[in-house]
Amino acid sequence: MKNIVIILYILVIFSSCTTVKEYEKVNLNDPDMVLAQKKIDRFETNFQVYREAAAGANGGKSGGGCGCN
Amino acid sequence: MEANLVEVVDAISMKKIIIICALLIGYFGHAQDGTNLEYKKRVLEQTEVDFLTSYYSQDGDNAAVTGGIGTEELTDFTPTVIISVPLNDNDVLTIDAGISAYTSASSSNLNPFDISGASNGEGEDDEDEVEEDNNSSNVSGTPWAASSGASKQDTWASITADYSHSSDDRNLIWNANLSFAAEYDYTSFGIGAGMAKLFNEKNTELSAHAKVYIDFWNPRYPTELDSYVEVNGNLNDGFFEGVDILDQDGNISLDWQPISGFSLIKDKGRNTYALTLAWSQILNKNSQFSLFVDIVQQQGWLGNPMQRVYFSDIDNYFIGNASSIPIYTSKENKDVFQLADDFERLPDTRFKYPFGFRFNYYLNEKTSLRTYYRFYNDDWGIISHTASVEIPFKISSKFTLYPSYRYYNQTEANYFAPYEENLSTDSYYTSDYDLSKFNANQYGIGLSYTDIFTNAHVWKLRLKNIDFRYNYYKRNTGLSANYFAVAFKFILD
Repeated sequence: MKNIVIILYILVIFSSCTTVKEYEKVNLNDPDMVLAQKKIDRFETNFQVYREAAAGANGGKSGGGCGCN
Repeated sequence: MEANLVEVVDAISMKKIIIICALLIGYFGHAQDGTNLEYKKRVLEQTEVDFLTSYYSQDGDNAAVTGGIGTEELTDFTPTVIISVPLNDNDVLTIDAGISAYTSASSSNLNPFDISGASNGEGEDDEDEVEEDNNSSNVSGTPWAASSGASKQDTWASITADYSHSSDDRNLIWNANLSFAAEYDYTSFGIGAGMAKLFNEKNTELSAHAKVYIDFWNPRYPTELDSYVEVNGNLNDGFFEGVDILDQDGNISLDWQPISGFSLIKDKGRNTYALTLAWSQILNKNSQFSLFVDIVQQQGWLGNPMQRVYFSDIDNYFIGNASSIPIYTSKENKDVFQLADDFERLPDTRFKYPFGFRFNYYLNEKTSLRTYYRFYNDDWGIISHTASVEIPFKISSKFTLYPSYRYYNQTEANYFAPYEENLSTDSYYTSDYDLSKFNANQYGIGLSYTDIFTNAHVWKLRLKNIDFRYNYYKRNTGLSANYFAVAFKFILD
C-alpha cells in the first residue's frame, strides 16, 4: 500500500508539470494508445471472468450478469 | 388635431419599435447564425456497426460439476452485434446484443447417468426422464466423459442499451444503460450510470460509474441430490427405483444420503453493486496512464448449485460398475459415478476491491507499448496479481500486428479444497478450481486491417476495420484453452 501511495504521488507530481495541447496529441490519438480495452478484447475478458476468481478494474465486467463470479 | 398628432407619434413610435425589433432579431439571428457556423465535431460522425464473434475451447481435469475431478471440456461460440447511432451532435445510443452458445462436458454431468434415451432431451428436464426409463442394468456414468444430457449445451443471450451525452465543450460526458441477460438457469437485469469530467485541456479525466445487477437463479442440481429430495430420501422410489447404489467396496447399500440437514436453495437472488472510479492522465506527447478502482459488493446465492462436493469425513457411494470404483479418479474409469454429498456452499456476501493501472507509451510511428497491471483482493481470501503487455506493431499503413503476453496468479479461496478433501463440519466449501491457488500464462497474437477511406462496401455498410485475435491460455493446474476472435467494423452510409 505504501508503494502504491508513493507511485500515485509521483504520478500526480509529474502530471501537474505538463499540459499537452490538442495539436500535440497526434501520437496519443493513435487507436493503439487508447486507455481502454478494445471491443475485440471483450470475449477474452469474459472467459477470464469465468475462469479466474479475480475480475474488474479493467473497464470490463466485475461480477454479476452471469452465473460466473 | 391633438388626437391626430398622438396617432402620428404612436405610428412613428410603433415604426421605431418594429425597426428596433427587426434590427434586434437580425442581430441575434445573425449572432445565432454565427454560433451555428462555429465548428463542433460530432461525438460520432456516422452510425457504426460492429460484428464480433469468438470461439473458445478448453480442456482440463478438474471439473467443478463433478467435485473437482473430471473432464472440463467446453466450447463456446459468441456472435455479437454492436450498433452505435449518433442521435445528434452530442448524443449517442449504443445497442449491444449477443449470444453465447456453449457445449460443456462437465455441465452435461449434472446428470451423468447416461441410460438409454434418458438424458438426450432437448431442453427437457433430465431427471424426470430418468425416472421413467430407469433400469439398474445399464445405469452408469463417469466424470471423465460428457453425458448426452440436456445440460450439455445452453445459450446465454444478452442485450444492453447505452445512452451517452457529451457537453458542447466535450469536457463532461454522462451515460446511462440498461441490460438484460438470460440463460436456462440464470436471469439478470442490470442498470448503470456514469459521469466523466475532463480537465486541464483534456489532459486529465476523472470518471465514476455505478452498476447494479439484479440476478436470479433458476437452479439446476446434480441429479442424485434433486432426486433425493423428490422422493423424501426413499432410495427405492423415483430415480433410485431399481438402481443399485454401491459402497466403497462395491457392495449394494441403501445407506447413501446427502450431508445431514441437506436442503435445496431458498434464496435464489444474487445482487451485485459495483462502483468504478477512474483517473486518466496524459503525461507527455507520447505517454499516458489510467488508474481504476472497483468497489464491488455481492449478496445472495453466490455459489453454483450445479457443482458437487465430496467430503473426506463421509463414506463414499457410487452407481455403476463396482470393479471401476478403485480407479474412480483415473481417466480409465468409464462406467462408475460417485454420488454427491452436497453441492458447493459459499458465503452470501462477497466484497471485492480490485485496483488496475494501465500505461501506454508511443515508441515511434510503427510501435507502441500497452501495459496493464491489476491487484485484486476480496473477503473470501483471494489475492491476485495480473500483468499484461501488448506491443502493437504497424506492418504497413493498413496492417498492424499485436503480439501480447499476460500473467495471472491467485491464492485460493478460504473455502476451497480439492476432491474428497472438504470437511462436512465446515459451513462453506467448494471444489471449484477457479477458486483454487494457481497461476496462468497467456500468449496472444492479433492482426488488424484498417481502411480509413472505407472503400469496401457490403450493402450500405462501408468496411472500416477487421480485427483478429488468437490466445493460448495455460494454467498450472492443467487447464488449457484456445481462443479465437474476429471483429468487423462498418460505417453506415
